[in-house]
Amino acid sequence: MIMAFFKTVKPIKWAALVAAVLLHGPLYAAQMESAQDLMARMSKASRELNYQGLFTYEYRGNLTSVKVSHGVFEGQTFERILHMDGAKREALSRIGNLDCLRTGDMLLRGSAYKISEQSYARLEDYYDFHIKGDGRIANRDVVMVHVLPKDKHRYGYVVAIDRDSGLLLQSVLMSHRGKPLERFQFVDIAVGMPIAELGFDLQTTYDKSVALEQTGCVGADRKIRESVSSWSSQWLPPGFVIASHQSTDKGRQESMMYTDGLAVFSVFIDSDNGRSLPAIDANLGATVAVLTKANFNDHEYAISVVGEIPRATANQIANAIALSPGDEQQ
Amino acid sequence: MSDHQERLEQSLSAFMDAEATDMEMHRLLKEVSENPELRAKWKRYHMVSSALNGDVAATSLDYSSAISSAIGKEPTHRQSVLAVFAGSAGRFAIAASVALVAVFGVQQLNSPMTNPGMVSEFAGIDQVDEENTGPAIQFPSGFQPVINARTVSAGGTNKNSRYVTPVIEVRQQAKRNYSEAELRAYMNDIMIRHSNHAALNSNQGMLPFARLNESEAAADQE
Repeated sequence: MIMAFFKTVKPIKWAALVAAVLLHGPLYAAQMESAQDLMARMSKASRELNYQGLFTYEYRGNLTSVKVSHGVFEGQTFERILHMDGAKREALSRIGNLDCLRTGDMLLRGSAYKISEQSYARLEDYYDFHIKGDGRIANRDVVMVHVLPKDKHRYGYVVAIDRDSGLLLQSVLMSHRGKPLERFQFVDIAVGMPIAELGFDLQTTYDKSVALEQTGCVGADRKIRESVSSWSSQWLPPGFVIASHQSTDKGRQESMMYTDGLAVFSVFIDSDNGRSLPAIDANLGATVAVLTKANFNDHEYAISVVGEIPRATANQIANAIALSPGDEQQ
Repeated sequence: MSDHQERLEQSLSAFMDAEATDMEMHRLLKEVSENPELRAKWKRYHMVSSALNGDVAATSLDYSSAISSAIGKEPTHRQSVLAVFAGSAGRFAIAASVALVAVFGVQQLNSPMTNPGMVSEFAGIDQVDEENTGPAIQFPSGFQPVINARTVSAGGTNKNSRYVTPVIEVRQQAKRNYSEAELRAYMNDIMIRHSNHAALNSNQGMLPFARLNESEAAADQE
């Protein structure tokens, strides 16, 4: 009697298991693809659309609100940021040519960003993307996506992407324990108006020659033009690639920026200013800053790592920065 | 017979059968002390009950008033007014100190270290990281989609958290050959430069500018 029961159950179980495996694979792949598409669309939308809106930024119970206008005119991107609380601050900027893609864009948009001749950086190697259904943010229909890191070197995100335009309307940075570290969210946004309605004084913008940020554009060969630095990192968290390198103050301060497509951190190497400072750990909201001291060729340098990454990772990066051998700085 | 009286008698009856609820029992005991009619009934019921059980239902003597006056005459057991006050004050003090700890604890969690004297701390940094930096609402692990829940700002009108300066912690107790302002200025500088970088390179649109806002707010306060 009991055996007979098992005999009937077993084939059903097996069939169910086989069906689950067969069905789950394609479904899962389809979901992955569309999450990827969404992220790619998000990257395009935030650059190429005209929009104006109000967003809030919150961390540790602090809330600030910002009004933003973004428009494209004659192939150039303009942006105005007005802080709605605290001291009055307004910034107008020409972000650059529309065709200037940066490393982060490349990583987010395509699945192939060339790090070297052999290797490629792929976002999905470092994050899992899960579409979690629909939601409503700023009175618009959104797709909720959970972005979970695959290792301990980066944080996860909960993002809401506008179904219609592809704009990022909400982003919550999540710690490894699933606690939110910061939250960015639009409360109101209008998309797709002509640039004239955005109130940019384009003539003034050109006349005053508002600084055009054109650094770090990725070339046609999909490899950024790296200026030669005498500094190198012995260790980087997997997936992070260099996005820009700058040398200021007659080479006394160098900075490099790395990104994996979502997270960003900067490395500053100071041979002058920071030397009198002690080794410190600082954090501001979700941003951590680690300052270490290192001695190379009898010269003391201050090396700092700043970014929205876990503190342990920032420490590890800071300790792995070294002056390339035989490349002494003056 | 009033409704109230009737209910009390029902309660009494139930009490005799050991079926009264706690509530009924309390009301009954309270009422029986000031209601002579009920007290008489109480006595009668008990006599009947005893008779039914075959006990000697002998007496109709009421000791209660004698006992009560005897108790009244014992002065030593009386609590002074002061003692009553001290007792309740003590309870209040405990409650108040619990509240104080709670308020203090919340303050500790929400307010950044604005006091320069607190710079030289290192212990539990990652804990600080994890516990202190999030918005007030907490997501359960695994990112369950409670995303649409509203957040109530915990910082609120707290003066300390109105403007936020970076929490800076010195890792080793070196000789102090730097100034506090210098340190903060340097940290603010690199954080602002990082935000500028990130605004250009991350794909989160405006987000880095919001972070920048915080950095600048901190710088303004200097």
